This record gives sequence, C-alpha cells and structure tokens, in this order.
Amino acid sequence: MDEVRKLEAKGLARAKSRSRRRRLATIRSRTIRGSLALFAVLWGIVFVQLASGNDPALSGKHPAERRPVARSEPTPAEPAREPAPEAEAELDGSEFEVEEEPAPEFEELEPEPEFEEAAPEFEEAAPEIEEPVVTGSS
Amino acid sequence: MTAVGPHIFWITSRAAGIAAMMLASGSLGVGVLIRGRGESRRLLGSDVRALHEALSLATLVAIAIHGLALLGDAYMHPSPLDIAIPFSGAYRPFWTGLGIVGGWGLAALGLSYYARSRIGAARWRYLHRFIPVFWALAIVHTLGAGTDAAQPWMLIALGLPAAPALFLLLGRLFGAAEPEPGGRRQAPRPQLSGRRG
Repeated sequence: MDEVRKLEAKGLARAKSRSRRRRLATIRSRTIRGSLALFAVLWGIVFVQLASGNDPALSGKHPAERRPVARSEPTPAEPAREPAPEAEAELDGSEFEVEEEPAPEFEELEPEPEFEEAAPEFEEAAPEIEEPVVTGSS
Repeated sequence: MTAVGPHIFWITSRAAGIAAMMLASGSLGVGVLIRGRGESRRLLGSDVRALHEALSLATLVAIAIHGLALLGDAYMHPSPLDIAIPFSGAYRPFWTGLGIVGGWGLAALGLSYYARSRIGAARWRYLHRFIPVFWALAIVHTLGAGTDAAQPWMLIALGLPAAPALFLLLGRLFGAAEPEPGGRRQAPRPQLSGRRG
C-alpha cells in the first residue's frame, strides 16, 4: 500500500514539475515574442517618422539635434544627417585636405579707432605713516 | 520624403534603446513585486520570477543592440571605445556617458544572478538593490540624449511602464520600515546547509 502511495506521489510530483517547466517555457517564449514585437513596432514608428520627414533630428526641431563635433554646417536640404565625405574625413582624422573656401575680405571691416592712452595725471602721494606712539609699559 | 537607407542603423539603435527602457521598467516592476513582502510575495511564485528573468535578459539584449547598431551608423561613426567607455564619445558625452554607465550597471548586476553561488546570496541580494539606480541613469540618458525625447509618443512609451515601476519601487522603499502584519520582517531565505532536526 505504501509502495503504491509512494509511486503515486512520485508520479504526481513529476507531473507537477513537468507542467511547471512547460509554464516557464511558455512565459519565456511569450516574453521573447513580445519583446520582438515591441522592437518591431518601435522600429516601424521611428522609420515612418523619419521617412515622412517628421524626424526631430532631421527637421531640426529638437534641441538635441544630431551634429557631429567636427562637422561643417549642414545644408538646409538635408539638414543634419547626410554623411558628407569631407565630414567623414574630418571625423576619422585621416585627411585634413578640405577644399579651400575663398578667404573673406577683411577690408570691409572698419579699422579700430586709434586712441592714445592718456597717461594718468596724478601724483602718487607717498603714504604718510604715523609713527606708533609707545604708551604702554612692558 | 527622406531617404531612409543611410539611417537604418540609427533607426535600429533608437528603437532598441526605447525597447530597452520599456523592458527595463517592466522588469523592475516585476522584480519589486517578487521582492515584496507578505501577501504579494505569497501570491507570486516562480512564474513571476521567470517573467522577471526573461524581461531582464530581453532588456540586456536590447541594450546591446542599442549600442552595437551605432557602430554601423555612417553619420556618427563611433568607435567601439566610444560606445563602451563612459564620457569618451564625441556626441553629447555627458548624457551618453550616463547611458553607458547605466547599461554596464544593469548588465553587471543583472548577470550577477548567474554567479550567485560564487558571490553569495546575501551579497548578491544587497548588490541587486542598486539596479534602480542604474535604471534611473538610463531614464536620464533617454531624456537627455534621446532624439525622440520630446515626442509625445516616446514620453507615453517611456512613462507607461516606468510609472508603475516607480510607484512600486517608492512603495517598497517607504514601506520598508513598516513591520509586517504577521509580526517580524521578512528575513532572507535561510540556507539549508545542515541536517534537519
């Protein structure tokens, strides 16, 4: 009788363990599938946003507009993200040969006003130091 | 219409980053429930533990995709060191640095679960309590460096899972000093090292 009960208990435990394992596998696979679906949805949202021209970085509406550090000013047609060859070269630091822009003419600038530094007209008064009066007794 | 081809890696990184934040918030909320005391702990069994583990691993995978996808971006063109070492990159180094610290922290503390026997259960549990700090860093990184940070859909996507997680976390933090209705505080599970008797 005891043997039968033991066997029954063992079988029950095995079945419980099997069902638990199955449940955990289901949870894991659902989580993985859910995560993939979430990623796909978010990818789609960003994709559509970018393709439709409403991307915050490309439209320049966002304060965190993407600009590389060593990049020249973006053109208005493709504001911030077109990888210009010279910009890539600057980022790489491999080449620094960039087409020279015409030097701005500085002749238009008004010359700075010349002025003479007026020498300060005052006599430095020698500080009068009063001799300390010794009054106390040691 | 904008040509999307050159931005594929960038789109992938952004989507993975947002997914990582949502998954991390979900995992944190579930984790707080597991570590809850009293009735909530009794109701939630190994199923929730498995959910927490799966969400955590999914978060780490998403974080890895978020960083690695940037390596393929022709515009930013970061080096592996830029995405691995905090505050070293050229693009918004402070905010991205916070994200890198958060990512490494989540990875280290999350994966330490599998080294519990080496670390020691009590020490691991103590370290695991710091996960919300790195989660908070990741949120700050998202809001500071995220391209979509000002977009309403992004704020909703970030806030929906983060709000309950924060609520549960604060409830746990401020309810920690209160004694359990049953009497004493929940002690860490005793280690079965000796004979029963």
